[in-house]
Amino acid sequence: MTDLPAYVLEREFAAPPLLVWRTWTEPALLARWYGPNVETIIHRLDVTPGGLWLNEMKMRGQSAFQRTEFLEVDRPRRLVALMASADAQWNIVASPMMPDWPRILLTEVTFQPKNGGTHMRLVWTPHDASPAEIACFKAAMDSMGKGWGSGMVVLAELLEELKRAE
Amino acid sequence: MAVRYADQLDRTFHALGDRSRRQMLSAIRRKGACSAGQLAALFDSAQQTTSKHLKVLEEAGLVARSVEGRHHIFTLRPDRMSQAQVWLEHHLQFWRGSLDQLDNLLDELQQPKGPRK
Repeated sequence: MTDLPAYVLEREFAAPPLLVWRTWTEPALLARWYGPNVETIIHRLDVTPGGLWLNEMKMRGQSAFQRTEFLEVDRPRRLVALMASADAQWNIVASPMMPDWPRILLTEVTFQPKNGGTHMRLVWTPHDASPAEIACFKAAMDSMGKGWGSGMVVLAELLEELKRAE
Repeated sequence: MAVRYADQLDRTFHALGDRSRRQMLSAIRRKGACSAGQLAALFDSAQQTTSKHLKVLEEAGLVARSVEGRHHIFTLRPDRMSQAQVWLEHHLQFWRGSLDQLDNLLDELQQPKGPRK
């Protein structure tokens, strides 16, 4: 378990932990921020151990489904869940475009009070992953240090725009 | 490592900051591969100008050059980049975008409610 590659994302918010917690755990609030520039529809949100968050995101006439199962709920400090892509029947599926990307990511998010605001920490780890999935995730981690990162995504998106403009 | 990242990003944005170069990238993408000559003909520019642009693109790591006889063939490097890395970046972009939206929502939720002027 300790040898699994993990990705950590940290962020600070100018809001107290309890408010940030609410935005993660109340459907009306969660739908407003989860999923950039997409319409988010929350089919179910049961924030208890074993409970499910069934999420649909609509973009350009297509839907993407996500099935999240909560493991630990420690209000307002910590949430641990298994996040996975799903089909329309909420079965866990691998991404057709990237079959070796871990189907299930163990996601741990913590909210710590800091200077009147909140320090949030998100950690992703492949869960129940095959050697191929672990290798894929690790390869992604390793290549981050080589300096391509967001530049590549900017390029990919720019080229998409160019294509659309043609 | 951090310094290398900044340099690379600078080179990428410098390369992309020129319209001719962006058009060349688009053409290479459409055709899959182009020779320097083909690109010069396509944009009706001098071979030297095209070559200069291609060098900038190559140094930014955006195109790969392969020499076949007298021809220099250019392909788009993103196709050869680690797929896993691009995928991770998409994942991160999703989260960064979402967290930006969360930031805005938190600001909105903390606005004092009351009679508007």
